[in-house]
Amino acid sequence: MRPLLELAREKLRRRKVIAVMSGKGGVGKSVVAALLALARPGSVLVDLDLEGMSAPKLFGVAGRLHEVGKEGIEPLEAGGVKLFSLGGIVGDRYVVLPGYGQAGAVEALLAFAKIDSDIVVVDMPPGMGEELLALGRAADYLPVVVTTPSKASYKVVRQLVDYLAEAGKRPAALVLNMAYLDCGGSRVYPFGRGDEARRLGEAVGAPVYEVPVDPSLEDYVGRIHEYRGPVADAVRKVAERL
Amino acid sequence: MHEWSLALSLVQTLDRWALERGVQIRRVVLSVPSPAQLDVSILTEAFDSLKRESRLEGARLEVKVRSPRYRCRACGYEFGQEEVDPQIRRLVGQYGEEYPLHLIPELLPTFVRCPRCGSHDIEAELSIKVEEVETA
Repeated sequence: MRPLLELAREKLRRRKVIAVMSGKGGVGKSVVAALLALARPGSVLVDLDLEGMSAPKLFGVAGRLHEVGKEGIEPLEAGGVKLFSLGGIVGDRYVVLPGYGQAGAVEALLAFAKIDSDIVVVDMPPGMGEELLALGRAADYLPVVVTTPSKASYKVVRQLVDYLAEAGKRPAALVLNMAYLDCGGSRVYPFGRGDEARRLGEAVGAPVYEVPVDPSLEDYVGRIHEYRGPVADAVRKVAERL
Repeated sequence: MHEWSLALSLVQTLDRWALERGVQIRRVVLSVPSPAQLDVSILTEAFDSLKRESRLEGARLEVKVRSPRYRCRACGYEFGQEEVDPQIRRLVGQYGEEYPLHLIPELLPTFVRCPRCGSHDIEAELSIKVEEVETA
């Protein structure tokens, strides 16, 4: 018997667990996850990107360590979001882990986190590895799949959607991130229209949401909770439907 | 203090397990890897306090602290706990009481290197496990 896995399951039972994932890195998962959590005040954001740990950087709490009390790990809080990350355990240090360690870290983080919200947004790592399997053991999650319109990311996203289908899950949303730029009122699509991703969404019955490029977002890395631009508006629309 | 949340996870998990089977629990053997450096007296105190009004009310907790054997997957060297203890002591000095391996023993390869070749690619059984449950 593994008490931490059981406790992780118990912690997440009867909560809405929204897992923001993609088959690929660099598509903006962490930004989407952060803005989704911000769109639902009081929600908990769990960063399961064990090696990347972008969420603490986005919220400006990188290097800060979680307090640990009798009830477990206390969240780092920023902008009304309660954040849990391995970064809050190891601080500003790299993490290198074999697969068995990744599963243990995911279970321990979920089991010890003081989760008290009905909505738990999970920022997943790129790829389809141990963390994805570990989350599947711990929770019945709602997948939000993030991609860009680029053909380069489509293939891996399709594979992820195929995997989810075999696991009996359908994406609750397909987010086409960095879809367009607003140039004086007209939209420019620098990475293509994302037709393949759109067809994929239709084929599996997942709504597709376009999220624009906003260069000013970069200025909010470290204080994403203060960002009020078009990317947040677009992600809020996704949040309203989940 | 994380011993309390670990004890809570143990009591909640086993209480549910016992309820499903309609049994009471008399004895629990928990196996923890030594790099976690858990305070067994706090863990037992927490267990005894949290077990009240559950199917573990009359249960005794035994904690087995095991010294893992390690194997480096890069050079094949096999070694014991005594060879990594100095590295773990430095870690405790650096992070304090709630140091990372105390919370998540599986993080060991992040912080410990093979004493022979310096690789982080180390394998060992590092999970916290319930080894035995005696019921009535």
